[in-house]
Amino acid sequence: MLAVKSNRSKIIILAGIVIIASLFYQFSGIDIAYFSYAMSIRTPKLIVMLITAFCIGSASVIFQSIIQNTIVTPCLLGMNSLYILVHTATVFILGSTSFLVTNKTLSFSIDLVVMGFASMLIYGYLFKKTKGNVLYILLAGTVMSTFFSSVTSTLQRIMDPNEYDTLQNALLASFHKVNSSIIGFSIVLIALILLLLRKELALLNVLTLGKNHAINLGVNYDRSVRRLLLGVTLLIAIATAMVGPISFLGLIIANLSRQLFKTYRHSYLIFGSTLIGMVVLIIGQGLIERVFSFSVNISVFINVGGGIYFLYLLLRNRGNV
Amino acid sequence: MQVTNLTKIYGKKSVVDDVSFEIPKGKVTSMIGPNGAGKSTVLNMISRLIARDGGNVDFKGKDIAQWKSRELSKKLAILTQTNNISMKLTVKELVTFGRFPYSGSRVTQEDVKIIDEAIEYMELTEMENRFLDELSGGQRQRAYIAMVIAQDTEYILLDEPTNNLDIYHATNMMKIVRRLCDELGKTIVLVLHELNYAAFYSDYICAFSNGEIAKFGTVEEVMTKENLSEIYNVDFEVLEINGKPLSVYY
Repeated sequence: MLAVKSNRSKIIILAGIVIIASLFYQFSGIDIAYFSYAMSIRTPKLIVMLITAFCIGSASVIFQSIIQNTIVTPCLLGMNSLYILVHTATVFILGSTSFLVTNKTLSFSIDLVVMGFASMLIYGYLFKKTKGNVLYILLAGTVMSTFFSSVTSTLQRIMDPNEYDTLQNALLASFHKVNSSIIGFSIVLIALILLLLRKELALLNVLTLGKNHAINLGVNYDRSVRRLLLGVTLLIAIATAMVGPISFLGLIIANLSRQLFKTYRHSYLIFGSTLIGMVVLIIGQGLIERVFSFSVNISVFINVGGGIYFLYLLLRNRGNV
Repeated sequence: MQVTNLTKIYGKKSVVDDVSFEIPKGKVTSMIGPNGAGKSTVLNMISRLIARDGGNVDFKGKDIAQWKSRELSKKLAILTQTNNISMKLTVKELVTFGRFPYSGSRVTQEDVKIIDEAIEYMELTEMENRFLDELSGGQRQRAYIAMVIAQDTEYILLDEPTNNLDIYHATNMMKIVRRLCDELGKTIVLVLHELNYAAFYSDYICAFSNGEIAKFGTVEEVMTKENLSEIYNVDFEVLEINGKPLSVYY
């Protein structure tokens, strides 16, 4: 009982931090004369950060629980490299001035369709084919990532250098390239995914006991895991299509959440990891905008911070990996 | 439970070949046999953990594939030998999972009572709030059994419950199995490597060899010098101690 209480208060404290950080981000250093203009810039960015944090945070926790390993990241599903490949290929074939590149809504939709389709095809099919072996999914993801990256680097090598320059910019995660129609669409899509997966999400606690226990307790393991995996890839696809390759963030926030809440209850883990993600993104983006005046990108923070944290996790778990 | 013509094929080799038997209700049945004889595979197939390549498993008049998984989990529980849970779980939380087939994630008053009883039955009350990874192997095994008890099924299948336990804990485990049958009226099937545990604590023995049933009968019928020597390909002596046939091999 004590643990539940303190976990609940941790959630409340985290939510408080998120609200304070959001308010600070939204209203600090504003010139009153340009208030509504500033709002029109900041509001969508803030919403995108919140959505991204939710997508990445929940997807990572679910993914780790399915794989039963807390140092995997959904990066392994290859969505990042697929995103990079799609964008590189579009610029390579149609040029950086093509409407497919400049029209944000259109490029978002293309990203989403390609990634969604690829994930259904690769992971949905493969999972059935391998009779529900999640390790094959990991392996396939790794191989796919490498494959996509090799194609990408080949294309980039033979690309026009000016085009390459523009492309490089588009390939870093950022919150600037999103408009309100994309936001609306993403929210609807996420709501839809959650609705369709509500039964499976309720089974998460049991699924983490492992395949045998889950089946023993009457769970349709293969079906549940397959649907959850699809949900995970779609959530990651949404986040990636919105802001770029950012799913490495998941490793950090999911583990911080596990460390903080020390429970198997996924309602806490997912909610916690989402809130932590929000704090990290808002503070990071705030720093970039107000302190570094846009000279660095959020990916830099995430990769440096995430890399160090990953090493820490490896060293800490040395005994039982 | 009636098993007929059960078959499992890996590649071209059939590891379980046309196995038929009936599990005696309200009794303890031990499956014995050399490594790779197919005992665990049979156990996993009749509990729907792995798919079968042929045959029928009739459970209460219906094939287990026809049962709704949730309903089946109220009648039949299986505990396998590898139980590494990576989550931070306390004993009580683990046992609570045993009620999942009945109440999902919402635990009722009745569930709480059954959970507490299961924990008490396995003498785990004083460590019910400790994490599983802080327990010894024997204590952890008892916690898993408590979960199975909370699941409150008629049939309990155990895959090598004495594996990795020392003599003291293994013997206690077998006494618990006996009590579950005698006091709570459960039907228990277990895979065992220790012949003498099988002989002393079970009612029936099902001996496997090369994916087939070599012998199936009461303990006295199966535990003979000739049978055992044939199944294991080792010289045996069978002695009678406390009215039970116990084996010595060398």
